[in-house]
Amino acid sequence: MSYKAAISLTLLAALPAVATAMTEDDLQESFYPYRNAVPQVDGLSAGTVVNSSNADQFKARLDPAMFNFVKNGDYSIKVGETTSFDLHESYVNATRANMGGVTLGAEPGQISGADAGRPFPQEPSASDPRAGEKLAWNYKYGYNWGDSAAISPFYWKFRSMDSGKVERTLKFNFHFLNYTHRTQQEPTPAITPNPSNLFRGIYVQVLEPFDVKNTQLLIHRYEDDAKRDNAYLYLGFQRRVRRLSSGQVTDAFLGSDIMIEDFEGYNGRISDMKWTYKGTRTMLMPFYNHNEQALDSETHSDDDGYQVVSFTGKGGCFPDISWQLRKVYEVEATPIDPNHPISKRIHYMDAQTFTIPRTITFDRKGDMWKVWTIGQAHPDYHLPSNKGTGVSIDDAFSMIDIQAQHCTTGQFKGQVNPALSPASKFTVQNLRASGR
Amino acid sequence: MTKITTNRKSLVLGGAVALAMVQGGTATAADADWSGFVENATYYRESVGLSKFRNTAQAEFVKPLENRGSWSNITLNGVFRATYDGVYDLNDDEFGEDAREPFLGSNWHPQGDATGGPFLTSGVPLPCENDPTICNNLDGYMDQDSNDVRFPDFNDRFDALREFYIDATKQLENGDQFSVRLGKQQVVWGRTDLFRVLDVINPVDYSRHNIYDELEDIRIPQWMAQLEWRMGPTGVFDDSNLALVWNFDKFRPSNLGTCGQAYRILDAGCFFSASMNLNLLPGGAFPGGVNPYSSSVPIIHDVEDPDWKLENTQLGLKWEGVYGDATFSVNALHYRQQLPSLHFRPLAPGVPLPATDGVFDIRFPKVNLIGGSIDYYSEATDAIWRLETTYTQGEELPRDTDGHKETDMLRYVIGLDKNLIIPALNRSRAFLISAQLFGQHILDHERDMPDFEKNWTGTLLFKGWWMNDRLSPQLILAHDFRANATAIAPSVEWLASDNLKLTLGANFKRGGKETFDWSVNGSGTNDYEPLARFRNGPIGVANEEDEIQLTLRYSF
Repeated sequence: MSYKAAISLTLLAALPAVATAMTEDDLQESFYPYRNAVPQVDGLSAGTVVNSSNADQFKARLDPAMFNFVKNGDYSIKVGETTSFDLHESYVNATRANMGGVTLGAEPGQISGADAGRPFPQEPSASDPRAGEKLAWNYKYGYNWGDSAAISPFYWKFRSMDSGKVERTLKFNFHFLNYTHRTQQEPTPAITPNPSNLFRGIYVQVLEPFDVKNTQLLIHRYEDDAKRDNAYLYLGFQRRVRRLSSGQVTDAFLGSDIMIEDFEGYNGRISDMKWTYKGTRTMLMPFYNHNEQALDSETHSDDDGYQVVSFTGKGGCFPDISWQLRKVYEVEATPIDPNHPISKRIHYMDAQTFTIPRTITFDRKGDMWKVWTIGQAHPDYHLPSNKGTGVSIDDAFSMIDIQAQHCTTGQFKGQVNPALSPASKFTVQNLRASGR
Repeated sequence: MTKITTNRKSLVLGGAVALAMVQGGTATAADADWSGFVENATYYRESVGLSKFRNTAQAEFVKPLENRGSWSNITLNGVFRATYDGVYDLNDDEFGEDAREPFLGSNWHPQGDATGGPFLTSGVPLPCENDPTICNNLDGYMDQDSNDVRFPDFNDRFDALREFYIDATKQLENGDQFSVRLGKQQVVWGRTDLFRVLDVINPVDYSRHNIYDELEDIRIPQWMAQLEWRMGPTGVFDDSNLALVWNFDKFRPSNLGTCGQAYRILDAGCFFSASMNLNLLPGGAFPGGVNPYSSSVPIIHDVEDPDWKLENTQLGLKWEGVYGDATFSVNALHYRQQLPSLHFRPLAPGVPLPATDGVFDIRFPKVNLIGGSIDYYSEATDAIWRLETTYTQGEELPRDTDGHKETDMLRYVIGLDKNLIIPALNRSRAFLISAQLFGQHILDHERDMPDFEKNWTGTLLFKGWWMNDRLSPQLILAHDFRANATAIAPSVEWLASDNLKLTLGANFKRGGKETFDWSVNGSGTNDYEPLARFRNGPIGVANEEDEIQLTLRYSF
């Protein structure tokens, strides 16, 4: 090894160690930011409605896209109390166990020591050039749906924003499984055997309508972030599994306004983006108690008596829910690939849960293109079986194509139940077996 | 009613086992999930007018049953289909029992020396309506009457019940799974579109729309048992499965279309219902100076109809898995050739003249196949590469001087699937570009075999989506390189709602110019009949079947 190379390696090894020093206070602030106080904004309290008449007053509490919608009268925001969405204790404990042991590698997408829990619970620093990347890792290894969960069923509606017409309704089942970084459901910390070292699986099955019935999607994400996902698609009419190229993950999924890469806020590799931390803000975010919202009695009914969130506003493109003032990290993600169909996303990450309830996507020209909302429901005010799971439940979504004046809305029945998502469901063979 | 041979044994066996399993499980409160569609497909063919007025009703169900013991995911599945093709009533001058042709092959080539005179007669349309002898000779194979072609699902094999099977999975102690699918079903092997290389377990009904309908709609379901040992991830493979397929149904060949039907691949149906007018030849043309033929000689004397016996059932084995970035399968199959093999019947041993009561018997020889497939995502090309290949022993191909020859065959497909955003056309939805090259090598080729020793067919699919996938145009191209035959099939699909879909398409073919010497007619004649049909292939022989096609489907 040359003298210069040795010096470089020494410097690289030293850098992450400086950046990851953290304390129990950091951890408490990260997971329980509202323990001592909730955010306060003059004139904004539970019961306030933010609409076109007072939008200017609260502009700083809205992202630019939502401000435009509200200012234009497309949507009114009902404000609710800020509540704590405590994640499961096992995840917090795993974070504590790894405290200080997590380091970034020399290149984006490289990390070590992140066995389980939140990798970087300390407050991001504007002076840290890799703060955005660390927040992205916190999202990727977030508690999210827990170790496994299902959205069953899951309704997607394609809507014209101008006419409000529902053009198409798709009914799915979605399943999620973490192979590694498991903290709560047995087995922990990992499912074995796992020869390719998978991190996560997503399995999607289309139930309706007939022309896409039995379409299934399987995504395998690897622990090695440098490795591209493997994705498989089963088409009902072909009765066989096709591999997906990476081009298809930035494609409109089944004609919706959503890319596979948009799933859950961002569904790709850390190394596919340049991550920039833009600041910490107090913002109105879609966090609520499902059982206290206006629900849709027509789309879904079942023996549990469960109903999905209803939609309102222009074109029926906005969830009819209440919003909370919450601590938010603004993070910009710019694709590394110059041929990527977007120029950037701005994510508004919830600091407590590290979910991504709001994202604005910009087209290749840099114009605002799509606006992504994922409503987060508290698990203790949802299905009885979800109580105590410590999962911030994705409960309603809206992806609005501003330029096309079109949206896709999603209505969930999220179930944190490991029996619904066994590892056998996340195999290529299951696609064939579950199809005809 | 057609006499496509009834398979009562396998029907009873399969049905009994399926029903026993159903009774073994108790129905839960979960209702059966029903779906389906009604559809009208109206096709207009240049020069003949209406070529299809097909009305289809299809209903499908999945009925979950309660877990029983260590068996779970137990479901009963069924697909019912009823079809009425009104073209035989609305255009009965061109199709059906009165569809006379001026000479054999007049629907794809000009008349040559081999048709007319002492040689080949034109084919008899729906022979069971017009010629009892030929009807009897083709018994069990191409013997549909008018009602059979109008209502093709309602035959003695009760094809209206397209699928009916039970699924069940048993969790093994070591975490593996054992699954059973038993009943009438389609088993799909391989990774190829349009052509079949590994996907040969079910025979195919080409009379529905030649090679152009989705294989799901034209595979002929069979009573089968499919047993799978799902090992899941192992120390080496991300997924590993071993599957055994036992096709215990009575053998059934592919349906090539009977003479008089609107679609008859290679025009084989009319050739098989034709005759040779050898009785018109003068006695001097024969050894001994005497014409042994008192009447025309049917091309087909008899069709082999293998009895249901254990040794006549078909067996397949597949190992399939995922290794790193590659998914693969290794396959082996013992089955019967689904296309007919023509066995010459001499007038007397060693005499190169046909028997007076028929030139050929049709046989379906047993075949052994080994093969495999793999697909791989290439990051460098951002595309999926597919490879599928088979090697068979036991297939029989036609030849001029002896009717047939057994030959080993090598087939393969190299495929490329790429999704490409073309911002100028659509910035949010990628186009699908799928290209395939299908190769076939006849390993024991003879000069008098009318098919090419080596041949390749290329296909290209270019498909786009607009209006949130509610509008989807596509273009399919297929080119048979050696036959120089091309099919071009543009279409546009419009989803007017979740339930209503309209598809407007066209299908243009070029080719059918290849000729082949027929020794009976002398060398150097370069005629079309009867052998050049094999050389021109399904695209070339359909060269006069340019069509405009409108399909309206309401699904539920």
